Amino acid sequence: MEIHDERVGDTCVVTAKGRLDGGASATFADKVGSLITSPNPKLLIDFGGVDFVTSAGLRAVLLLVKKVKAAGGSFALCGVQGPVREVLDITGFTGMFSIHAARADAIAALAG
Amino acid sequence: MTSPQARFEASTLPTPESISDLTERVMAFLDAQGVEGRATHHAALVLDEILTNLATHGDCANRPARISIIVEPDKVVGAIVDAGTPFDPRLAPDPSLDLDADDRAIGGLGLYLVRKLTCTLEYTRLDGENRTTFAISRGKASSEGESK
Repeated sequence: MEIHDERVGDTCVVTAKGRLDGGASATFADKVGSLITSPNPKLLIDFGGVDFVTSAGLRAVLLLVKKVKAAGGSFALCGVQGPVREVLDITGFTGMFSIHAARADAIAALAG
Repeated sequence: MTSPQARFEASTLPTPESISDLTERVMAFLDAQGVEGRATHHAALVLDEILTNLATHGDCANRPARISIIVEPDKVVGAIVDAGTPFDPRLAPDPSLDLDADDRAIGGLGLYLVRKLTCTLEYTRLDGENRTTFAISRGKASSEGESK
């Protein structure tokens, strides 16, 4: 899985590409988790390039959400593909954080 | 056009790397058969989850599981035969889904996804092997949009 991060205002925007499964989830959680260093972090993960997510990937996302919330921050996803979105819906993840279609909308929401 | 009963067969050790390789090949096969993206994703996901559970709890790390996938006009049918500990995926408890992130348990979602994404899920124990079969509907499901 490819992971790229950048800072947009006070939001850390992570662009992920590839498969988030048992072979990638631990590295994903470690790499993205290492970006959560400040109090009240704002973390956006762009899932536009993520075409396959398993429960191991969901576990990694949940670990990141827990870490962000423990630091008093905000977490969001954007660009989630249809089948992945269905998995998030089924597992109740869509009730735990915001999901936006467009990256710009997500950044604006986190900034607000 | 999809040919009737197009078939994929493979065997794999239950390790994360092998499972990733297998599901990539299954997705490529289903895509080549013209199977819809949703059904392709979910068939690969169900395979991944059953094999990952086998890797974690099956006590059969050195014994490959046998996998077959058949494409039918209205569904994708999968079968996994493994020599792991007897285990019926239909009987695993459901996780609690309505808790906040702080209270959510890490794990327990894989077999729940298997049960929710399949239109049929069957299990038998025969000749010392688990035989799990499933079907994924090729019908369209609504999963687009924005929430919260």
